[in-house]
Amino acid sequence: MKTRSPQKIVLHFILMSLIIMISPLSPQERFRRTPPVPEPLPPLILPEIFSVPLYNDLTLWVVQKNNVPIISLRVIVFAGESASPDNLHGLATLTARMLNRGASDLTATQIVERIEFIGGNFSASTHPDYSLFSFTFLEEYLDQALSLMSRMLIEPTFIKREIDSARTAMYYDLVQKSQSPDFLAKRQLLPSCSITHVYKKSTYNEDVLKNLEQNDLSSFLENNYRPNNAHIILTSNLSLEAAYRKVGRYFTRWQKKEMAPSTPPSPEPFKQTKVCFIDIKGVKDATIYMGNVVMPATDPDIFPLIVMNQVLGGTPNSRLFMNLRESKGYAYNAVSEIEFYKGCSVFFIKAKVRPEVVESSIQEILDEIEIITKNKVPSPEIEEAKSYLIGNFPLQIETFDDLTSKVAELKAFNLGDEHWNKYYENIKLTTSDKLFELAGKIPIMTPVVVVVGDKDLVLNQFGKFIKEVDTFDKKGIYLGTYKFD
Amino acid sequence: MNEGIKFKKLCILCFSLVSLVINVSVDAQEKKEFPFPVIQYKFENGLHVILSEDHSLPLVSVVVAYNVGSINEDPGKTGLAHLVENLMFQGSENVRQMQHISTINRVGGEFNAATTEDKTIFLQRVSSNQLAQVLWLESDRMKSLEINASNVEQAKLDILEEIDRLKTENPYMESFWYFDRLLYSDFVFGHPVIGNPDDLRNLTFRDAKNFYNTYYVPNNAVLTIVGNIDREKALEDIRKYFESIPRGRKIPPGPLPTVPEKKSTVDSIVSSSAPSPGFHMGFRLAPPSSEAFYALSIVEYILLKGKSSRLHKRLIKRERLALDLSGRIEKRQDLASLKIFVLNNNQFMVQRSKRAIFSELHKLKTSFISEEELSRAKNMFRMDYINQFTTTLQRALFLAETFLSRKILLNPSEELEKYLAVTPKDIVGVTNRYFGIESVILDVKTK
Repeated sequence: MKTRSPQKIVLHFILMSLIIMISPLSPQERFRRTPPVPEPLPPLILPEIFSVPLYNDLTLWVVQKNNVPIISLRVIVFAGESASPDNLHGLATLTARMLNRGASDLTATQIVERIEFIGGNFSASTHPDYSLFSFTFLEEYLDQALSLMSRMLIEPTFIKREIDSARTAMYYDLVQKSQSPDFLAKRQLLPSCSITHVYKKSTYNEDVLKNLEQNDLSSFLENNYRPNNAHIILTSNLSLEAAYRKVGRYFTRWQKKEMAPSTPPSPEPFKQTKVCFIDIKGVKDATIYMGNVVMPATDPDIFPLIVMNQVLGGTPNSRLFMNLRESKGYAYNAVSEIEFYKGCSVFFIKAKVRPEVVESSIQEILDEIEIITKNKVPSPEIEEAKSYLIGNFPLQIETFDDLTSKVAELKAFNLGDEHWNKYYENIKLTTSDKLFELAGKIPIMTPVVVVVGDKDLVLNQFGKFIKEVDTFDKKGIYLGTYKFD
Repeated sequence: MNEGIKFKKLCILCFSLVSLVINVSVDAQEKKEFPFPVIQYKFENGLHVILSEDHSLPLVSVVVAYNVGSINEDPGKTGLAHLVENLMFQGSENVRQMQHISTINRVGGEFNAATTEDKTIFLQRVSSNQLAQVLWLESDRMKSLEINASNVEQAKLDILEEIDRLKTENPYMESFWYFDRLLYSDFVFGHPVIGNPDDLRNLTFRDAKNFYNTYYVPNNAVLTIVGNIDREKALEDIRKYFESIPRGRKIPPGPLPTVPEKKSTVDSIVSSSAPSPGFHMGFRLAPPSSEAFYALSIVEYILLKGKSSRLHKRLIKRERLALDLSGRIEKRQDLASLKIFVLNNNQFMVQRSKRAIFSELHKLKTSFISEEELSRAKNMFRMDYINQFTTTLQRALFLAETFLSRKILLNPSEELEKYLAVTPKDIVGVTNRYFGIESVILDVKTK
């Protein structure tokens, strides 16, 4: 019988150990089996925001950020659609869109050339509460940018040919957007929530544009575009003193005017569930929007509301998505959102569902709302929602433009320093009890429901849970009420 | 002051705020000159790691880029690179299907992935305390992706659905794919990244597995991390998760493009759903690594960028020949081309638009551009160039793409200088050389 020598046994052992060590079939390292525990949350040090009023009461806000030679500028004028006269809806938007179509002795073409010469991007947008002008450019052209911006705000020319062109562009823009069920549903939600409120003005259709004339624009500008009704925000590497000197040089000639306070009263929330329907023949899916008016963003309860929104429908991990898409298979998407206004907020849920399950989907959404009002959200779920919100916040302010837009939002809704500096803290302080208390007092159980879909596939389903449905056309015009027996 | 120099000085000023006194390990290369602090490492298994600290926000961006794209596909196997990218979210040895997505979502982060002709990129932007989680996720799918017949079939169905959706949403989509085949006449560079539906249907899980085993290996990848990191700690975590992943086989050499013939190509395609006629026009340019590319990039801005660009002013504003105009320089590995797409009201306007484009090119070839117009183009270029560095994610992507395309990290501010040094004479030179008769035109006709 052959026996192995001790040396051979040792050699064999070493070889086997080496083979095991280098073999791809070797057991994996233990640390790969489970995800690592995250490090403690790092502190968020937000850039300081400095402010100073100019002598004409234009408020200047300065945010210091100095890692790239770019300046981001925003001008907020509190002249949103709610400021448009009753018979001239769309006037605020058209006025804002006209500013870069001729100012002082500059034509529209010259303005575009000047903006592009300084590497700039300019855009104008209109919210129900304000109009916002965004201008980003290379930092060494600050003087040229401020000069141009001031001329556009103070001396727009409103040439008829350009008004016609801007009106046509707005018309086709609205016609194009009206192809989208989401646009139609959302446009219907706000007036349905606030039937007699000034915010209803922001939901105009393309037909109203023909009423807008040159003198309407001039008059709107005269009454609303005033320094004491505006803020200017600069994100750059400039100090407050340097920014004050520069902005003052170009904007002090802007004349102030006495104006009435601009915060509209909060619209009344809807107290009974109401269903609105917009028919689009042949549309493949049904789009559901459900929402109601809630407290403004200045209310301390806004933080529990933000957490509640996250639990309910903030991401694909939230309850609505997990129920309607992952569990029931009704929806392609189901999320919730909060939209801020000066006088209120609107909390709404939106879902794109298969047309044959519209009623079941609405019922599931109502059930989810009811659950959150009747049962406390378990702590791990709250913590997960808070972890998302805290983790996501710095992502929203990383670029110059994002940071400036965030500051503009703070100023537009009078949110104050607390909202900015204590965001993390306020989110962290939201508990299951606070959220439960909030859910019980906001009117989310009586939402306005807007559905956009094919009438033949959708309408009959409403009879199972409601007696009547208001129907509208694609322009938002009321067609009649459909009653179920 | 020269603007490029100013950019560099500013950057250096910013960087002095962060600590640059760091221990450099023997396998590391540090670039202090870079507009942000950068250090590179190469692991034994071939993985290249690039780290850059930025403590302005508690964020970190992580990019893993593989040096593989549709140019590495064989005939009959188109769409394979994109298919494997999709499979990267389907789970690995320790990560369940879709766990990667839900983990990033839960912590408020962002993720994405993209396959191009020459690279495949996976990216994440998260709160910086989640860095180890991301490294765990990325390393697990680099080491042990789960590829089986079932998830391959599901991914194929998803992509086929995506192709249908692209065609429905964009009635000109097929014309774009057809145009690429004309412009890059060889199969390797000309076929669409998303793949041919027939090829996709025939792909097997063995194809996917072989492709993954060949290309998704540390020696074919670069990991870039930019943000609020402690470099030593980050390196420790990277070593923990990536260093033991075995090196792959030798990567097959990349394909070489064929030199295009010196001739013009004209073709047409009929689109049953296109609402308006139009055309594509393209020119093959000097490689991105060439000296001529600096001037060609400025030509792109003179012709196409912004409403005051020459073609926009002529075709849209002044003569109202076109409903829409778009175009850009496109890079595919070491190939570059200028592509233009125009939509018109009718066929008559199509012909007039083409003549107008050639007329504008002729002007560029025969007369010097004014200093003012050149400054406009350069300023717009500079803004876009600087914007590449405004977020941690953009910087991480820039570092990964620069590494994959050139293998060396150039100093971006010095690189910018070269674009800003382009003269009117250079513009005349490159337009004469690259915008000759070798144009490729594809008419898109409506039914």
